[in-house]
Amino acid sequence: MRSCTPPALIAAALVVALCLVAGRPLVAQTPIDSLLDGNSLEDLWVHLNQRDWEDLHTHFQDNTYYPADVEWRGTRVRNAAIRVRGVASRNGHKPSFRLDFNRYVTGQTFFGLDALTLDSSWQDPSMITNRLSMLLFRQMGIAAPRVAHVRLFAGAAREYVGVYAVTEEVVESFLRDRFGEDTGYLYEFNHIENDNWGFQDPGPPLGWYVPRFSPKTHEFDSVANLYMPIRDLVQRINDAPQSDLESRLGGYLDVNAFITQLAIQNFVAQSDGLVGGVGANNFYLYRFAGKNLFALIPWDQGNAFTASDLPPSYDMNTNVLALKIWNEPKYRAQYLATLLQIADLVSTDGFLLAEAQRDYQQIRDAVYADAFSPYTLAQFEEIHATVQEFIRTRPDIVRQYVAAMQ
Amino acid sequence: MRSCPPRVVFRWACSIAVLLWAAAAPALAQVKLTFDKRPAFKVGNLLTAAIRFKSQVDFRDFPDEPETPSKPVVDLPRTRIGVEGRLIKELEYQIEAELSDASKPWRDIYIQTRSFRVAQVRAGQFKIPFSLEQLTSSMDLDFNYRSLAASFLAPGRDVGFMAFGRTFKDTLRYQVGVFKHGGDNVRESERTDAQADRTYAARLVVRPWNTYDNLFRTLSAGVGFTTGVLPAGPNGVRGKTIPGDTFFQHLFVNGHRRRIGGEFQWRPGPFQLQSEYIEVRDQRFGQGIDNQDLPNAFARGWYVSGMWLLTGGQIRDSIAPDRPFLRGGIGAIEIGVRRERLAAWSPGVNDGSFSSPRAPWVMPRADDVWTAGVNWFWNPFVKLVANVIHERRTEDGRVLVSQGNLWSQVFRVQLGF
Repeated sequence: MRSCTPPALIAAALVVALCLVAGRPLVAQTPIDSLLDGNSLEDLWVHLNQRDWEDLHTHFQDNTYYPADVEWRGTRVRNAAIRVRGVASRNGHKPSFRLDFNRYVTGQTFFGLDALTLDSSWQDPSMITNRLSMLLFRQMGIAAPRVAHVRLFAGAAREYVGVYAVTEEVVESFLRDRFGEDTGYLYEFNHIENDNWGFQDPGPPLGWYVPRFSPKTHEFDSVANLYMPIRDLVQRINDAPQSDLESRLGGYLDVNAFITQLAIQNFVAQSDGLVGGVGANNFYLYRFAGKNLFALIPWDQGNAFTASDLPPSYDMNTNVLALKIWNEPKYRAQYLATLLQIADLVSTDGFLLAEAQRDYQQIRDAVYADAFSPYTLAQFEEIHATVQEFIRTRPDIVRQYVAAMQ
Repeated sequence: MRSCPPRVVFRWACSIAVLLWAAAAPALAQVKLTFDKRPAFKVGNLLTAAIRFKSQVDFRDFPDEPETPSKPVVDLPRTRIGVEGRLIKELEYQIEAELSDASKPWRDIYIQTRSFRVAQVRAGQFKIPFSLEQLTSSMDLDFNYRSLAASFLAPGRDVGFMAFGRTFKDTLRYQVGVFKHGGDNVRESERTDAQADRTYAARLVVRPWNTYDNLFRTLSAGVGFTTGVLPAGPNGVRGKTIPGDTFFQHLFVNGHRRRIGGEFQWRPGPFQLQSEYIEVRDQRFGQGIDNQDLPNAFARGWYVSGMWLLTGGQIRDSIAPDRPFLRGGIGAIEIGVRRERLAAWSPGVNDGSFSSPRAPWVMPRADDVWTAGVNWFWNPFVKLVANVIHERRTEDGRVLVSQGNLWSQVFRVQLGF
């Protein structure tokens, strides 16, 4: 083992001290942090053939990939692939896109990321609610994607095609960064219309799970390997007595993390998350390598920040696990305490309001110049006023609800 | 407006058949049924019709490939039924359908003249005259699978018109044709895109010693050529491995596609030596990421094969054993080996953009294959084929990780008449 000389120790101590004084983290900023931290409105240029750009709009229902180069701050990453993405928000006017950096070149990344999504915020006139939600998740210790905004340019002529929310995708690079591993089983949950599934046990057939959980890793594993562990998880959730969720689900699901996610979604009045009138939606499921333990990863939380008077018990009965938590006094108390914790986080120093106001200022001019936005400028201004009012009033509303419950 | 060529041709052929059938009514009294090699009937001098049936069942053991689903052990590559024969002495016809292909069942549907062997004509849907092995019936192949070159670089079938014939005592054979699109070995979009234009094809085969009774009598050599316009889009030729996994993708192309080919065959007694070379060049005007022209894309394939009919006799297109199995003999046994290569690339230097379908420089990729096989002909109808296949895949001359030593085994039971 190498020994450190006194001067080296002194130098190291000085560096640590300087960092602490400056209040900066010791972890170095990577280039991609500058894109995703949201501190500035970055320009992203997707180079692609004119015919492909037209096809992406004409055939927006297809998932066909087209080759593209992606340029940011003068660095051009070649051999990427782009396709239209989205379900209900899919459209040919201002489509959302998925950028895949290792589709044509195995192992290629965009400054460490395997993939990015460019969300046109088709259903969110404010364009910021998903970013604010994800920010809360991360502040509360939940692994959630980072979101920022970019001005998107496309084609050889560098045409400005509008403001997009750039989101790190839940893929291997995300898993490596958040969990320190990427060899487990990752699934995207697909909501099926009129299904309204909220973790109810559908019975033994594994085929039921196939259309609902798309494997994003180990895609070619057998159905048994892919879906038996999910079936076991669902059966355990249904079989576990509400008084003893932690020990019965131990090794399968972190109940505390589930309560936190539930509380955040209800705090921001996200009506299309783990609970909601149409059942569970907008999440990824990750099973850690060599374990039965799953993690829920939130996705697309943009349907929030409008209904400020939504009660904390809203739609809890639509999800088996959420209902057990709500019906069991000790878990309900934990859930309500978490809501208060979030309320304090949001209102402390106006943290979330400052983020919302900064986002608004950051994207306003670019949105005004966005010829492809489906919303009028008046709608944009109005919704931002609503979101900011939500953030101002929601903590006290939640506190009042919680006080009434206790 | 999109057309459906096979359906048009089929309707056309059916109409002719109905008319002829109506005309044949007075001659029905002269109907004669036979069963020699296959069920057939004859209506005087007006019509003959023979039923054809082709069936193949494969039992396969393919290596597991990364990021691809495993292949089923049992496969039914062909289950075809057809009818062929003569019309009013002067015309021949053939209609064949693949029963396992619900979306595009029709294979050959054509009619051709019989007389004047120096100048015959054929119209309908049939194989574009290019590549000896592609033009060989699937029931008469030397190995379970056609060479990769013939499978993926030859154009396959299309609707068209062809003049063909043989002359100088069969020392010279030719085929010249014009076809609606580029064949069924190309993407669907290329066949139906309104921009897709005609394909022209020509093939010339010489048998210089055909009239001599010596060792070289069966030696033949030929050249082939096709040219046609490609619609802009991801319509480049693609290459697959023996198990069927794509190892070079469709590139974006725009302009002309040109094929050139050479072939050689020699059958001295119980031996056969056969070889082919095929090269495809696709133009890529305006297909770059920034709409710029790209260098042409090339694909090249070749094979050399040798066969030996162990049980004596002479190798022909179709081998029928003198003493069938279970009828006093062991049938006929043939062994063989084939060496082949399929590769794709584009000229230029490595600029880092080697893998995307709009890459200026396409990294050279190749699949080198050895196949060893045994064919056991029980009788004219049943044939068993066992092949052992070795593949080695390379990229820019380097063997791909875990793909340098891939073994496959395929056993086929074939029934046909």
